Amino acid sequence: MYLLWLRVAAILYAAASVAVFPAVLYGLARWRKTCVHLGGMALFFHFVSVIEMLVQAHSWVPVGAREVESLLGLAVAALFFLVWWIYDAISLGIFALPATFFLVFVPALGPDRYTFPSAGVRTSWLVAHIAALLVAYAALCFSLLASVLYLIQERRIKTKPRPGEDSWWAPFEWLPPLDTLERIAHATLEFGFPCMTVGLVIGSVLAQETPLGAAYFLDPKIIAAFVSWVVYVLLLLVRRSAGLRGRKAAYLSGAVFVVVAAVWFANLFSHVHRYGAR
Amino acid sequence: MTLALIGVNYKTAPIELRERIAISREELPETTRALAAVPGVLECMIVSTCNRVELLAAVDSPDADLAGFLHRQFGLDPALLKPHIYERQDRDAVRHLFRVAASLDSMVVGEPQILGQVKEAFAVARASGTVAGQLEHLLQSAFAAAKKVRSDTGIGSNSVSVASVAVDLARKIFGSLAGRAVFLVGAGKMSELAARHLVQQGAGAILVTNRTLARARSMAEPFQGRVIPFEKLYEAASEADIVISSTGAPHPIFRREHGQAFLHRRRNRPMFFIDIAVPRDVDPAMGKLEGIFVYDIDDLQAVASAHLAERSREARDAETLIAAEVERFHQRQRTVNVAPAIVALQRQAEEIRQSELRRAQARLGSLSAEQVAAVEALTRGLMNKFLHPPMQALKQAARENDSTRLDALCEAWSVSASAVQQAETEASPVTAGPDNPETEKAEPRKMNESEAGVETRQ
Repeated sequence: MYLLWLRVAAILYAAASVAVFPAVLYGLARWRKTCVHLGGMALFFHFVSVIEMLVQAHSWVPVGAREVESLLGLAVAALFFLVWWIYDAISLGIFALPATFFLVFVPALGPDRYTFPSAGVRTSWLVAHIAALLVAYAALCFSLLASVLYLIQERRIKTKPRPGEDSWWAPFEWLPPLDTLERIAHATLEFGFPCMTVGLVIGSVLAQETPLGAAYFLDPKIIAAFVSWVVYVLLLLVRRSAGLRGRKAAYLSGAVFVVVAAVWFANLFSHVHRYGAR
Repeated sequence: MTLALIGVNYKTAPIELRERIAISREELPETTRALAAVPGVLECMIVSTCNRVELLAAVDSPDADLAGFLHRQFGLDPALLKPHIYERQDRDAVRHLFRVAASLDSMVVGEPQILGQVKEAFAVARASGTVAGQLEHLLQSAFAAAKKVRSDTGIGSNSVSVASVAVDLARKIFGSLAGRAVFLVGAGKMSELAARHLVQQGAGAILVTNRTLARARSMAEPFQGRVIPFEKLYEAASEADIVISSTGAPHPIFRREHGQAFLHRRRNRPMFFIDIAVPRDVDPAMGKLEGIFVYDIDDLQAVASAHLAERSREARDAETLIAAEVERFHQRQRTVNVAPAIVALQRQAEEIRQSELRRAQARLGSLSAEQVAAVEALTRGLMNKFLHPPMQALKQAARENDSTRLDALCEAWSVSASAVQQAETEASPVTAGPDNPETEKAEPRKMNESEAGVETRQ
């Protein structure tokens, strides 16, 4: 049944992704309302689908890449709605809604044939590990997105484009104010940090339970995960102590995102930490 | 009934004349009632703003002396006023009103206040009991047309004054302006205006500095601002999010090194410099610093001019839209005008039905209540079915303003002129007004009209 709800959610995300463009680019209130309603319904069906899927899976653990993708999609959509609600920044939906649709599209095609083989980690704590890290990734994505948009908006204001003029900046009239982008970038970064910390701590505790024990932490993927956490801490400290904002903050957010993305891809090569662990 | 509009506006009359006939908010109800007392005036309202005074009336003949009312009411020599007056009737009056409400006739095309002012004038007239069906329908259509123009065109979407452009830019940087500190450096009308706009948008503390302390004080007073001695200019500047500078200094007073110091003290929080001085007060090199945004008077003027040009383009689309709305209004009006003929036709058919029923009663003998109801339903159903095509044809002919076809249809269906006249008398909007003792008499007609499916409102 969860596949049906996921397909409904995918269709609604697709419709919301279409509606968000006229809503943002032309500031049309009716489209904005339509987009929010469609997106809200999609989030609801997606949530129902994820809950059903996790109930079906062993002890609530997502058992394959597609299910993890669906969970990440849910985190991105939920974060988008949170940002929209707090900062009234529907503009980010131009990126968040299509991204969510693509994250949901493949899982909606059908279930993974693969099932998680290790009985040792079939504990409900594993879902907390995965969920916390996925939310942290989603928060980092938003932080990077807001930082990039900040750079574009800053450059746009500095170049003083004249309305109606055929300039490179003309299509970016819809961007949110600089201050809003800065606050979104900062808030999502701060929100992602505890999520990542909780995810890593739970992961470490669970790793102790595996037959590998302490040797688990010598895997390059695991080391990279801790390095990314240290980089994250450094970024937050520098931002706070030096009042770092704007361009430099955006570049640093980008750097953290690259490190975290590298850690994510390391799952494909790790011997001890991967979806298809042997 | 004829629609008549007479008025003076900023295009036809100088301010010296406009201020002599301007009607204050307090005087408006009484003046509107005085206009309603002019012979021949059936309904009326007055729009009085700083840019125009217009009298709009539904009159029973085109000879109603509205210009005379203006002369008498304001004690003006007719020869003085006449060259400045414009008059419109019927279709032209409707078009003029629609254009005024949609802000196409305003000094700054697309400004939003005029619609509110027309609405207020209408509310005053309504409260004074000087409007009924005709003007009610006209004004509601004008408001709908104005709303359509605002939503379907970009006529009011961009700022066209330097001060409002500055506010828009500040919003692009800071989002909400609530609690933002504004620093006015130097005294000038333009900077005062910009500050006023910012305060209206929620800006917080206002700091003012000037080489002459007394001038700074007088400028700070309306904003309840804080006066800063000119020597402390650079210390105070770093407290401000928005700096509006308009001194007469021959060289820039804010340079790159100052900008760096401000950013350091503000922990890189952004600053927006609005430089409206000539020669400029802010070194353009300062704008190259990350977190500092500098716009001079030319930059602001360029944006305002571009917006104005955009509005002119949008105004062309708006004119087309207004023309279509005026046409739609007239079509509806014509459909309303054909209502008496439709009502007469219905009445005639009903009389025939009743008389045929009476004739048939003798032959049918005594019928049960159910049988009587069945016969009633049968004859009424037949009558409505027969009447449907001619009623549609009448409405269609009215919409297309085809009087030959209308006459032919009335003749073909034997709708007598006296029957139409009777229905017209009952349909008069003034007799149907809420304050009129004849309202009750008009009620059955209204029911017939709605049965006939005539659209009387938008």
